[in-house]
Amino acid sequence: MHIPDGLLDPITTVVLWIVTIIFMIIGFKKIGKTFEEEDSEKLIPYIGVLAATLFAFQFVNYPVPGGTSGHLVGGTLVGVILGPWAAVIVIFMILVVQSLFGDGGITAIGANTFNMGVICGILGFYIVKAIILVLNKTNMEKEKKVTIATAIGSYIAILLAAFMAGVEVGIGGAIPMEIIIPAMIFWHIFIGIGEAVISALIVYFIYKVKPEFITTEEILGVITNDQV
Amino acid sequence: MTKFESNKWPILTIVIIIVVLMIMLTVGFTIGILSEDPDGLERALIDARGETWLESLPSPWVPILGWIESDYIAGIIGILLSVVLMVAIFYLIAYIKKNKE
Repeated sequence: MHIPDGLLDPITTVVLWIVTIIFMIIGFKKIGKTFEEEDSEKLIPYIGVLAATLFAFQFVNYPVPGGTSGHLVGGTLVGVILGPWAAVIVIFMILVVQSLFGDGGITAIGANTFNMGVICGILGFYIVKAIILVLNKTNMEKEKKVTIATAIGSYIAILLAAFMAGVEVGIGGAIPMEIIIPAMIFWHIFIGIGEAVISALIVYFIYKVKPEFITTEEILGVITNDQV
Repeated sequence: MTKFESNKWPILTIVIIIVVLMIMLTVGFTIGILSEDPDGLERALIDARGETWLESLPSPWVPILGWIESDYIAGIIGILLSVVLMVAIFYLIAYIKKNKE
């Protein structure tokens, strides 16, 4: 999913940088507000833990049939844990560190943040929220609702991000859109399963050991059984 | 000391994550649950234009840590850099917010 340098045309590169910067500015403001309501001294070390977890998981590639591999992107996962706006900032910082190792292009950080942070993080979060609204009609425990919604939301978000990455590369002209978009969707149909499973397991694990670390229950609209 | 005490669990968790990553890398590649194959985008690009073309894409940037070939060292440095950067940026946001008030 990490777009390297040299694939995007200058206009796409600049436009996606601008879009990413706008989302980052909004993200900074929204996070500032969260810190007013929550104890930032307590929250920030756990954001560090999340960064470590995400980097570690992005580092390990699991095999996908057909000589391909996949790794966790984690945008939707961060969105569910910290909120959609924090996801853009977290993914941006992870991408900056990865670019130091040559994973993803430096000029493409804007596009990569747009795909993995904005689409997976923000859009993925609202897909999760929509699924939770449906699951609220069932008698399921809240952690199961969030876990299932995270799995489905992550999967859909990965496919959307793969589609967008295909569009961006296609606009660049290096590979025709009619080739790159179906190819991206095809491979991410398999890769997305890993994303869904890993994201769901991490959310479920957090619910079991430190449920207060999921700071978005209210925004997600999760209704507990006793509220029904 | 108080700072360490209050952040004991996050620090311990990061150490555990590093250890688990190292074990995963060692065991994972040996038993085949991890893969060095190209990821989805790389696969799509290689299928369309070939591996040589992908490797020859122009970049204005020489990755400053690209010389690290060991996955283990790259993993540890990457995790630590991510944590430091992330904590620094979020402390900065909290600091700016506090100063504004």
